[in-house]
Amino acid sequence: MKINHTMKRVSLTAAVLAATTAWLVPTSIASAAGPTLVVYSAQGYDKAAVAAFNATHPGFTVTLNDNSTGPLLQQIQAEGHNPKWGVLWVDGATAFAELDRQGLLAKNIVPKVSFNAVGRANIPADGSFVPTGLTATGALVYDSAQISKSQLPKTWAQLSAAKYKGMLGMNDPTQSGPTYPLIAGLMNYLGHYTKGSTSAAVKAGESFLTKLKANGLVINATNGPTLGAIQSHAIKMAIIQSSAGYGQELTASPSIRVDYLNPVTALPGVIGIDALMPKTVRAEAQKFVDWVLSRAGQHVMQTGDPQGDSLFWPVLNGEKPANKVLPPLASVPMQTINPYVWGPLENSVNSWFTNNINNG
Amino acid sequence: MKAASLEVRHLTKTFADKVVLDDVSLSVARGEFLVLLGPSGSGKTTLLRCLAGIERADAGEIEIDERLVAGPRTFVTPDKRHLSMVFQDYALWPHLSVRQNVGYALAKWPAPERRRRVDDLLERVGIAPLAERYPNQLSGGEQQRVALARALAADVGLVLFDEPLSNLDADRREQLRIEIATLTREVGVTAVYITHDQGEAFAMADQICVLNHGRLVQSGPPESVYREPVNAFVARFTGLAADLPVEVLCPCGPRGYDVALPFAGDHRVRAHAPVTLAAGVRARLYVRAAGVRLSREHHEGIAGTVRDVAFVGRGYEHVVQVGENEIITKVFSETRHERDSAVRVCFDAASSFVLADAEGADRT
Amino acid sequence: MTTLQIGHSPNRRAPALSGSVLWIILGLLIVAPVGSFLLLATSPRLFGQGPQYFTLRFFSQALSGVTGQGIVNSLWVSLVVATLAVAMATTLAWLVQRTNVYGRRLWPILMWLLFLIPTWMMTLSWVDVLQPYGSAAALGVSTSWLYGEFLGPFGIITVLSIASLPFAYFVVSAGLLGLGSEFEDAARIHGAGRAATLRTVVPMIAPALLSAFAISFAETMSDFGVPFTLAYHSHFPMATYTLFASISTYPANFSVAAVIALVLILTTVPPIVLQSVVTRRRSYATLSGRAREVRRREFSTPARLAVSAAVGLVFVIGLGVPVGGAVLGSFLRNLGIYAAGPVRFSSVYYHQVFAPSIVGKGFAAPLMLSNQLGLIAASATVALALVFARRLMLRSSHWSQRLTDVMLMGSVAVPGVVLGVGYVFFYNQGFLTTHVIDLYKTMPLLVLALVATALPGQTRFFSGPVAQIQPSLTEASRVHGAARWRAWRTTSLPLMSRVMLWGWLLTFAKTISELPISQILYPPSQEPLSVTIQAYLGNFQLGTGTAMTVVGLVEIFVVIAAALGLYRVVTPRGWQRIGWSGVGA
Repeated sequence: MKINHTMKRVSLTAAVLAATTAWLVPTSIASAAGPTLVVYSAQGYDKAAVAAFNATHPGFTVTLNDNSTGPLLQQIQAEGHNPKWGVLWVDGATAFAELDRQGLLAKNIVPKVSFNAVGRANIPADGSFVPTGLTATGALVYDSAQISKSQLPKTWAQLSAAKYKGMLGMNDPTQSGPTYPLIAGLMNYLGHYTKGSTSAAVKAGESFLTKLKANGLVINATNGPTLGAIQSHAIKMAIIQSSAGYGQELTASPSIRVDYLNPVTALPGVIGIDALMPKTVRAEAQKFVDWVLSRAGQHVMQTGDPQGDSLFWPVLNGEKPANKVLPPLASVPMQTINPYVWGPLENSVNSWFTNNINNG
Repeated sequence: MKAASLEVRHLTKTFADKVVLDDVSLSVARGEFLVLLGPSGSGKTTLLRCLAGIERADAGEIEIDERLVAGPRTFVTPDKRHLSMVFQDYALWPHLSVRQNVGYALAKWPAPERRRRVDDLLERVGIAPLAERYPNQLSGGEQQRVALARALAADVGLVLFDEPLSNLDADRREQLRIEIATLTREVGVTAVYITHDQGEAFAMADQICVLNHGRLVQSGPPESVYREPVNAFVARFTGLAADLPVEVLCPCGPRGYDVALPFAGDHRVRAHAPVTLAAGVRARLYVRAAGVRLSREHHEGIAGTVRDVAFVGRGYEHVVQVGENEIITKVFSETRHERDSAVRVCFDAASSFVLADAEGADRT
Repeated sequence: MTTLQIGHSPNRRAPALSGSVLWIILGLLIVAPVGSFLLLATSPRLFGQGPQYFTLRFFSQALSGVTGQGIVNSLWVSLVVATLAVAMATTLAWLVQRTNVYGRRLWPILMWLLFLIPTWMMTLSWVDVLQPYGSAAALGVSTSWLYGEFLGPFGIITVLSIASLPFAYFVVSAGLLGLGSEFEDAARIHGAGRAATLRTVVPMIAPALLSAFAISFAETMSDFGVPFTLAYHSHFPMATYTLFASISTYPANFSVAAVIALVLILTTVPPIVLQSVVTRRRSYATLSGRAREVRRREFSTPARLAVSAAVGLVFVIGLGVPVGGAVLGSFLRNLGIYAAGPVRFSSVYYHQVFAPSIVGKGFAAPLMLSNQLGLIAASATVALALVFARRLMLRSSHWSQRLTDVMLMGSVAVPGVVLGVGYVFFYNQGFLTTHVIDLYKTMPLLVLALVATALPGQTRFFSGPVAQIQPSLTEASRVHGAARWRAWRTTSLPLMSRVMLWGWLLTFAKTISELPISQILYPPSQEPLSVTIQAYLGNFQLGTGTAMTVVGLVEIFVVIAAALGLYRVVTPRGWQRIGWSGVGA
């Protein structure tokens, strides 16, 4: 009886150990040999895109580091001159301009496809990155159950009117990728910036944000909580990324609508290639970029995250938005800012925001 | 297994800057019961732990049963030394039953034999009914019996005892002391037993080694250590009634001296000394309790005053003050002498020794 | 008779030999990566993060403005929280060990579960419950009066205190277990009142109290969940948040972050030094065969009910609301949404967990991977932590041992994001990747980092129980013929098995919910669960994300229950008699 119990115990332990070992083996046989192409991406449809690319391009496997824009750029910066990333694919051109300035981007990677006007406006002269789709940052997302379209402000300046006190929300640029381009766009517009020194434009933007704050501007970290604030009726409207508004309209709250003050800032989805990687991998990276801007790639982008990032305007002639909820691109008053001018200011503008708007 | 012999040569051990064992040599014959006696900090525990192999000496050699187990280039781990040990804190494994604890060292024995051996030992230490209990279900005395059974059950030639009685109350201590002394001899092993209690040492030992400050001060049978302490430390540590300043008057016979007490006029006391002393030297007189008695005769002994008296059953023990502030303790008398009464104190020459005063500085 | 005994210092050769190996492990796991990150505070050029080889300008930058405010806030909040946590922990430990309070077996287990709830989840669930149109409102409870209070120092301190309660509880509990009730009795007999008794007893468990304080303080300083959620919403900057903020803009300011990290680490030094000074003067080795039953204070029935209810409330706040809120929220169709109509419950989010709306973002593969990571990291951490704990508890006062102690404690205060980015800097150096080994963005490196982040806490966790095992128990085993391995297997292992099991489960669960390191270091296309969940939460798919969290939690609880059950079945009867202050026998 006693021996029996011991036997049972021993065999049970053995069984558990064996099962565990068997389960662990596949993980320990880890990485493939040779250099691989790693796509660093924050796009909602990136998994679908990488899977589709791998399926149609046998013999070479692309892997994916899917994260928010912040952590991705943080990793790229920490990797420095020993990069592991092959392709970077996130929203907003400002970070790309900075990478280009540091010599980290391969030049002349623009595929020979037919870009539309806004698409062309977002291609840099040295061809170091390419727009793959377009959303707008600073779209006025509002809850039509709380405020009707006719009651909305018609200009940016009106947002600081007493009538809208406590109604407006936005995101924190240190937490939300599309928010710095929004602030930079506001500075660009309010300061009538064309070229040269940006200091007057920055001042104009800061003074506008200070007025919004005095008018009860509500800051949340990212789109999620900001949309949540609208839904819980803490605020009635917010200036955020267009796709977030449309996504919400299509899913949780049908009363959400998106409107555009003149102007909103173009926020291209941008792709770029690491300049420092081996030639063979670089050729594959170019194939990936070409594929993204092909008909097949565009199709996957438009279907991979149907209620999120897929809600963009194509930058190619002949492509239409996937969902009818998006108005024609031509009807959206969109400005494009120079990422090489505004990119270097991101850090100082963001810390000003943290010190004066978010915590001041 | 047969009783083992033990040989320790020039063992030295330092912790940080403190010398804990200073060139200690001793030898124990097969089947002998050796007691290492010393105050705390004397190095006895370290010596025992070196024997066990729990501690490593810096220099010197240890031989167990004529096999070198520790030396300059040799170190045999505790499990390979064929010994067992009774710990001061019992060190019973709380997750093992009494039976499992006692049988631990017999892991390689066939089960029936192991069972027989364990039963035998449990029977001998009188805890057979507790075999299936766990240590925390036992009293302190029972736990130490288990520890004793465990050590004696092991098929070894040498058993080490690390102050095994110090955590027990007086009654149980006495009882278990007898059991250790008899059982160890019954089982027929060599024993090394450490204690700071001289009573325990004299009662149990075939041979006593007195340690002080890491040095082996004296060794020999209990009787010779008691009767002929080599220095003041041994004398004091093995129990005194009187410790008084004296002046050596003259030698009289082999190592016999007459000494004068400064407060006793021309009264002389006869005592013996382990070393030769010159006349006129300042020295100290040490007297065992057995060598002190009270007298009512005016011409006998030295004058004193009773300071305290205690009834001890077979008679009375007195504390007597002599001279200005010298105290003599454990002065036995069958009759009671009241406090503050004047008495005469006599010393028996056989239980009195005199040692040069330089050693008197070596107090502990 | 005394129960407190100083063990003899064991053989000195062993630590000297294993010491250098441990140093190398500690160096590669923690010191080098974190050190690389900290170097950026003065020398950004070393890692190509700026032009300066040496500068102090980042110190003035980090210590002023919002970042300076964040450090000040973190400091005072951590002091308050550590004090509260130790006070609550001591009360609770005393109630469980020394009184007839109800649920004496339940509370320690709940304490364990509390250990497993990350602070961000505690916060978000509370917000989910309290917010306008939240879960409480859905159940018809008005919470607006509490919501405003919750978003502020009151809520921050409450959540953090309850979150660090388990750390403090297990340490104090171990200390109290070593304190025989004869000390309390002795104090009473000598005419001391209750207050005087406390004055007598408290100093005796002072090492445990200080240890608990030190670890609560360090854990609070380095907590990220609350600063990132609750404190952020309350516009109450805290150090870990400002650290994160300074490296999440582009280009990131790693140097300012390094200064903040340095401050976080340095603030943990005084408590640990104080604690180790006090601990070294006393021993708390108590797990010998001589343990005796303690007397319990008998409350009258009404008092017993009241005290038990108060204890229960702590767990309702720390455990009931967060878990209940998450479960409820995951079934609520319109969580946090203004709705005129009736509340709608739905299981749609659970369907989405298994049929994800985002193409390619499945749930099964990440769950599987995270379980594997948890298994490997937990096993490695437990093994290493045992070795480190033994070393810390050696009674030699070698400087390297103290340094290890301080370093391990300092590491508790290293936020995960610092460790993660430090791993990038150190393990992605050109020299290392071309000439030695290229580990960055591989599974082994992620495992190393997960072990590194769990090791300091786990070592702390084991050091109490390790110290409680009398050295004589192992010595007795060696003397009675057991070779090193058998001695360990038959004495240390059984005595530590329960603690090891719980420690393993803790690391397992924490590894699965770990986010910042996983996010930075996971190998491409091999996403752990926490990263997937974060992607959903960040993609405003709150319902699906919450449902995934709930399923993940359920899975963790199932693993815990299975492991505990297995322990009961496979271990000998005697092993299960060995209680442990954490959960009892």
